[in-house]
Amino acid sequence: MSTNTSDIRSSYAYKTGTNRLGLWLFLLSDAFVFAGLLVSRFYLLGNTRPHLEQTLGLIVTVLLLVSSFFMNRAETAIAHGDQKTFLNGTLITLILGVVFLVGVVGVEWQLAPFSASDGAHGAVFYMMTGMHAFHVLTGVIFLAIVYRNGRKGLYSAEKHWQVEAAAVYWHFIDVVWIFFYPALYLIGTVAG
Amino acid sequence: MANQKVKLFSLSFFRGVVFQVLGTLAGMGLVMLIRLLMGLPAWKAEPVWVGGAFVGVFAFLIGAGAFSDWAKMAFGEDVPEHIETDPNQPGWAKYFHISYDHKIIGIQYGVTSIVLLALAGTFALIFRTELAAAGLQVVELDMFNTLIGLHGMVMIASILLGVGAMSNYLVPLLIGASDMAFPRLNAFAYWINVPGALLVVSSLFLGGFDTGWTGYPPLSARAPLGMQMFFMGVYFIGFSSILGSLNIIVTTLRMRAKGMGFMRMPIFVWAAVSTALISLTATQLIGLSFQMVMFQRLFGMGFFDPAKGGNVILFQHLFWFYSHPAVYVFILPGLGIISELLPVFVRKPLFGYKWIAMSSLGIALVGFFVWAHHMFTSGMAEYLRVPFMYSTMLVAVPTGVKFFSWVGTMWRGKMTFETPMLFTLGAVSIFLLGGLTGPPNATVATDLHLHDTYWIVGHFHATMFGGFIFPFFAALYYWFPKITGKMYNEKLGKWHFWLMFPAFYVQSLGQMRVGLLGMRRRIADYDPALNFDFSHLLITIAGFVIAIAVTIFIINVIQSLKKGEVAPNNPWNSRSPEFFLPSPAPEHNYADHPFEVVGEPYDYGLADAPFVKFDAAPETAAD
Amino acid sequence: MKHFILVAVLVAILTVLVGFGLDTIGLMPELASLQGVFIDQLFRMHIWVISFLFALIIGFMLYSIIVFRRKEGEQGDGDHFEGHAGLEIAWTIVPLGIVMYFAFLGSTALAETRRADPNAYNITVTGQQWSWRFDYTDYGFSSDELRLPADRQTLLMLTSTDVIHSFWVPEFRVKQDALPGEGMERELRITPTELGRYKVRCAELCGTQHAYMLADVFVVEPEEFDEWAEEQLKGVSDDPVERGEVWFGQFGCTACHSIDGSDKVGPTWMGLYGKEEILADGATLIVDDAYLFESIREPQAKIVEGFETVIMPPTGASMSDQQIQDVIEFIKSLGE
Ligand code: HEA
Ligand code: HEA
Ligand code: HEC
Ligand code: CUA
Ligand SMILES: [Cu+2]
Repeated sequence: MSTNTSDIRSSYAYKTGTNRLGLWLFLLSDAFVFAGLLVSRFYLLGNTRPHLEQTLGLIVTVLLLVSSFFMNRAETAIAHGDQKTFLNGTLITLILGVVFLVGVVGVEWQLAPFSASDGAHGAVFYMMTGMHAFHVLTGVIFLAIVYRNGRKGLYSAEKHWQVEAAAVYWHFIDVVWIFFYPALYLIGTVAG
Repeated sequence: MANQKVKLFSLSFFRGVVFQVLGTLAGMGLVMLIRLLMGLPAWKAEPVWVGGAFVGVFAFLIGAGAFSDWAKMAFGEDVPEHIETDPNQPGWAKYFHISYDHKIIGIQYGVTSIVLLALAGTFALIFRTELAAAGLQVVELDMFNTLIGLHGMVMIASILLGVGAMSNYLVPLLIGASDMAFPRLNAFAYWINVPGALLVVSSLFLGGFDTGWTGYPPLSARAPLGMQMFFMGVYFIGFSSILGSLNIIVTTLRMRAKGMGFMRMPIFVWAAVSTALISLTATQLIGLSFQMVMFQRLFGMGFFDPAKGGNVILFQHLFWFYSHPAVYVFILPGLGIISELLPVFVRKPLFGYKWIAMSSLGIALVGFFVWAHHMFTSGMAEYLRVPFMYSTMLVAVPTGVKFFSWVGTMWRGKMTFETPMLFTLGAVSIFLLGGLTGPPNATVATDLHLHDTYWIVGHFHATMFGGFIFPFFAALYYWFPKITGKMYNEKLGKWHFWLMFPAFYVQSLGQMRVGLLGMRRRIADYDPALNFDFSHLLITIAGFVIAIAVTIFIINVIQSLKKGEVAPNNPWNSRSPEFFLPSPAPEHNYADHPFEVVGEPYDYGLADAPFVKFDAAPETAAD
Repeated sequence: MKHFILVAVLVAILTVLVGFGLDTIGLMPELASLQGVFIDQLFRMHIWVISFLFALIIGFMLYSIIVFRRKEGEQGDGDHFEGHAGLEIAWTIVPLGIVMYFAFLGSTALAETRRADPNAYNITVTGQQWSWRFDYTDYGFSSDELRLPADRQTLLMLTSTDVIHSFWVPEFRVKQDALPGEGMERELRITPTELGRYKVRCAELCGTQHAYMLADVFVVEPEEFDEWAEEQLKGVSDDPVERGEVWFGQFGCTACHSIDGSDKVGPTWMGLYGKEEILADGATLIVDDAYLFESIREPQAKIVEGFETVIMPPTGASMSDQQIQDVIEFIKSLGE
């Protein structure tokens, strides 16, 4: 490694590239948990699904999808140096995320006519939504950190790796839900 | 400076342990409080202990300081690239501290691995004494069951840490990087093992568990409290595997020296990356399966409870989806070490470099599609057995490529037999024995007889000793001078080998023999009518001889550290770049001596064909 | 070339030594079932291939170690060659062929072990911690020992009341786990060929007493089997106490309860009736018929102090009221 390469390697851009690779590998790894949960769901419940509140499910799903749109907007904004749109987008995403959490954990969990210990349906439903909600929660915390640091002006068009990471993570959580929603709410006949 | 007293509490390790104890108590209190608020009686052993243990792990990490830099980063503060070591403390103290230096982390992994090896080995010696004769003499039935399970899992943890030791210490050195891509993550991945291992061992004192290392429900769903500690400890150790392997992959892809194409990487790096691909992904599934049993016990979630519509086979699928590929995690680095060391001591190029590199990847990938061969008699869906037999058999092919290529490497060389080479050759023969006993297990029909017998026990001890234990010792002897700056004692090294090698054959062949004749696994007592006493006695004696050999190794290390000869830079006349650095290797590796790759790594026998060219010759800088 | 001839000789000698050596000492226990014939044949082929491959690689290695070692005073490195694509391809293809062939043999042997005889008669095998029960469903009686007529296929349906067990008689070779849960019955076919006495050995770790989860197996002449079945059918006895003792053995209560006051996993039955029992929640009661009945039908209803960690299996659910009543009489006979 000549001095030349080592200069390139200590640059912010090269390090961001390294970080990006690390993040994607982490998501790949995490995807295996969710895949395992999906497999368990079909293994145990087959072509049946738990009895759930359809309207609520649809609402929270739409909210989560919309939040991804705002997250994307925030990220594009900071890449162009637009602090205001960036901050607003992050805040909206964060709020939508919290509403999603309240919707699933605060409302759906209470409305469900079964509990976690009521057989395989309950177990699968609470495990899947719980693991997903846990990820949403970490995403929300991540967004809060990004928002706070953003207000302090720590991000710029050139240096905003943390924003990118939060955004990618958020989209990942969103994509997971795109698989979970039909698996829990749409596929199969109601039972349990 | 070395005389300076060290305050115990200033060491990350001790601070972590104290925090873990306090954290556990606090966590227990917290759970009791929540239970009170929910209108339940405060004390119920299981949730209280589990909650406490969970909080305790994080308390350890906070106490040790593994989160400090990340917390600062989250608050937008700058953090330094490296932790500077306090020059006022003795040399050993830095190993008890959080460090970001991959070499220190590698050593931390290695020492922890050997500690766990000794612990798990001691468990084995205890239950082997019980098995030396029919009847019950030494331990009670429940204790026996706990001991075999702990022996298995602590050994596996020891292997995972040993793999971490080798890939952490070696990969950056071999590819010419000054450190790993994510030094903080690297430190975190090591330190989470410590509270995790403490939890696993604590199960011994919390009622134990009677399921073996596989933890199959429904038995694990009704085992004593120790089961939960076992599950949780393994869960955290799993995180270490995941994060550590992520780091290895990124480091290899982003930090190689100039000119080092993929086909010019030292062969161990290929092995480490293939290994990392497995542990990065598959580990999640053992975590999930254990988590599901834990939740079944804590919240009554009926995943594996037949009374609630659960299914016990599901657990086995999830568990083996990790635990089969994991066996290739155990061996690929070891096989990489064999490929790395053979050319040096044969003085000949590695035969078929590309084929060996690709076979590692091949084993890793095929390894993902064979898990159900552990379930041929389990009552899983019938139609799965034949396809899994075919896929399992496939693994023999890339493994065979390695063996034949090693033979090609040895052919017409000029071999010498220093201790590392002895262990390498021993590894080849033992792993061959283990590998070749795989296909009869993979063939469904014969497995109907072999499953859950000591034949299997013999099979996997041979694969693990040949694929990990022997190569690991080879690597420790080989890089000992580079790690410590001292030479080890060759005579003790030879004693170590010549005790362990034959003893191992006795142990493993003995296990296979009684297994075929009808000795089941995981039994504390066997039918005296079967006449196994003598074979079992031999196995037990062999186990003790292995323990003596390992003890000799430990003595050798301690003695050589104290008064070993000062090691030259390149005692093996190797072409690998780290042997051009001074011994012990300097803190930032090649920062002062960057190099460029100009040739092939294993061109032994070709004069004037260097592998690497240094910008400034480090030999002169070193002495 | 000289080297290769020498190695070939070495490998041949090693193969024959290892292969014949293993053949002579005999690796497998006595063979007593038709299914096992196919398994032993295949295993023997495996052993020969293993012997050859082991000899092949060890032969080359030993030869290299002896002939190609660095001799006293020798300088320099070995020959420089980096590989040989033809060889690599060869030793990829040939093993591939071998293992695929073996997998094929494996599937045909598996099919042989599962070949169904329409005249097979049925036995339901129930595993529970830590005993076996055999229900002769074609005849309508149960037993704690497995008695099979020689040379006729038996279809075993395996289930479990609690955790996973595994049915294995080493002399029959074949093995199958017994799983708890509805719809989880698994089948195993056995055609015993040798008269004699064997043992079922539970092969899946199932808790404390797993090592001792054994049951007797007798392979007898068909006539002898018919006699025995008739005897079983005649009913056990007119005396409820005697019947109770039989159920005590048959339903596996022996695994956990002693009748002589000694320690086992569960409370002893000696002097149980009429004694004051302390429960896990601190309550006390006098042991009477109703309590015993409940303890057997629904073991979890009241837990005895000191036995909180062991779960008594719900075997009682599958016992008739009369059988439970018999057991109670039996307990009474053990003193108050
Ligand atoms: C380091 C660990 C390791 C390794 C490398 C292996 C390697 C292999 N294992 Fe093993 N195995 C274990 C560790 C390992 N195993 C453990 C721990 C268990 C028990 C788990 C438990 O229940 O607790 C187990 C159990 C186990 C079973 C389940 C048995 C049972 O419980 O019923 C099976 C079944 O298929 C199996 C098969 C194989 C095969 C086919 C290989 C192959 O990868 C071997 C390939 C290598 C060779 C074949 C030799 C070299 C090749 C040649 C010389 C080429 C020519 C060869 C031929 C033509 C055959 N193993
Ligand atoms: C790396 C993996 C590894 C290693 C090295 C070993 C090493 C040994 N193993 Fe085992 N073993 C497993 C992995 C391993 N094992 C696994 C995964 C299982 C399955 C568990 C299950 O079924 O759930 C198993 C199961 C198993 C069984 C089957 C138990 C049963 O089913 O009932 C047996 C029985 O003989 C056994 C024996 C031994 C013996 C005698 C050794 C000996 O080689 C041990 C030698 C001793 C040492 C290496 C310790 C030396 C150190 C000291 C004595 C301390 C000295 C200290 C100082 C000087 C400071 N092991
Ligand atoms: C796996 C072990 C096990 C088996 C098998 C078992 N039991 Fe039990 N039994 C226990 C344990 C442990 C207790 C105490 C805890 C409890 O009350 O549930 C117990 C309690 C009892 C009691 C109450 C005894 C008292 O002291 O109050 C009766 C009666 C009983 N069992 C009958 C039976 C019968 C009948 C069978 C066979 C059909 C049987 N048990 C099989 C473990 C077992
Ligand atoms: Cu039943 Cu082991
Ligand atoms: Cu496997």
